[in-house]
Amino acid sequence: MSIINYANKEISFKIVYYGAGVVGKTANLQYIHRCLPNENRGNLISLATGDERTLFFDFLPVSALSVKNFTAKFQLYTVPGQVYYNMTRKLVLRGVDGIVFVADSQWDRQHDNVESFRNLCENLGEYDYNLDETPYVIQYNKRDLPNAAPVPYLEFLLNRRARRVPVFEAVAVDGTGVFDTLNTVSRMVLLSGFAQEQGARHENA
Amino acid sequence: MKMHDVAIHEDAALQIHEVLMHFLGESGAVDALLIDRSGQLLARGGPDRALDTVSLSALAAGAFSSTAAMARLLGEPEFTMLFHEGIRENIHVTAVDEHAILLATFDERTTVGMVRLFAKDASRAIGAVLAGSRQRPHRIDELAGPLTIAPGQPMFRERSA
Repeated sequence: MSIINYANKEISFKIVYYGAGVVGKTANLQYIHRCLPNENRGNLISLATGDERTLFFDFLPVSALSVKNFTAKFQLYTVPGQVYYNMTRKLVLRGVDGIVFVADSQWDRQHDNVESFRNLCENLGEYDYNLDETPYVIQYNKRDLPNAAPVPYLEFLLNRRARRVPVFEAVAVDGTGVFDTLNTVSRMVLLSGFAQEQGARHENA
Repeated sequence: MKMHDVAIHEDAALQIHEVLMHFLGESGAVDALLIDRSGQLLARGGPDRALDTVSLSALAAGAFSSTAAMARLLGEPEFTMLFHEGIRENIHVTAVDEHAILLATFDERTTVGMVRLFAKDASRAIGAVLAGSRQRPHRIDELAGPLTIAPGQPMFRERSA
């Protein structure tokens, strides 16, 4: 759900990093916060438990290039990954414009990835949103770990819908793939929003 | 997909600003923020002071939506007001309509009762402006045409080490 403010000359969008617990959603935002120039980012807010697990959400406002004299702003959110925080995950999805599904590449986390993806579709449905009409990308994180499953297998599990989406191999803690992911999803969101207004919805990645 | 894109045109922004300033004058509150329930700031009234309104908006929307979820657990449609009391400053949040909330900060110079009273009037007035905005075309003037971004042009650049 984009917000256009003609008085401030701003267009704002909401992007949510979704995925199971401890897959690296917060690590993505922390790297973006660390490596964006100060003038392009606000404060990183983390609502976390005592052991650094996300309790409600992380939040980072960032601004990108100007489009037709309007500043494009993106609000980046993460959700809590643990199964029992589903109610808060659902709340964070309200008004979402684009999604980064972060998957853990390790073999023993594949059940959690698939379950989280299913949960994403279900929670979007609660708002009458549909993943097939929502710009999203998939990030295969933790590619540096020795027990990482091969990408074709992850593709088979998570990216075999009618619409194949862009995927990124990442090591979020050192920044590998983080900006590629952000640049692609934000571009998709921006172009998708304008395509809808023109009545010509299409893939822009 | 049921998206509700929001466009605040310049005349609507002016009307909302007038309502917010009137609200501040009547209630004695310090700041007034109109916030979309997705967490994005729509408009601000009040003095030019250092206040992280972007973070405040995201957190207030999160808090308000979680209290709404608590209300539903009790069989209530929503709790229509949220009040946080601090030592020097307080926060009052109230529903404008199903898409927006109004946040006010205030101190010892007024009371929660005054803020609550005038927030209701302000919410009604702003709700009418927002309802009118939803009936208008969202993309006008320079945004009316199709958008192009040069292939390969990054949206964000990493700071060089």
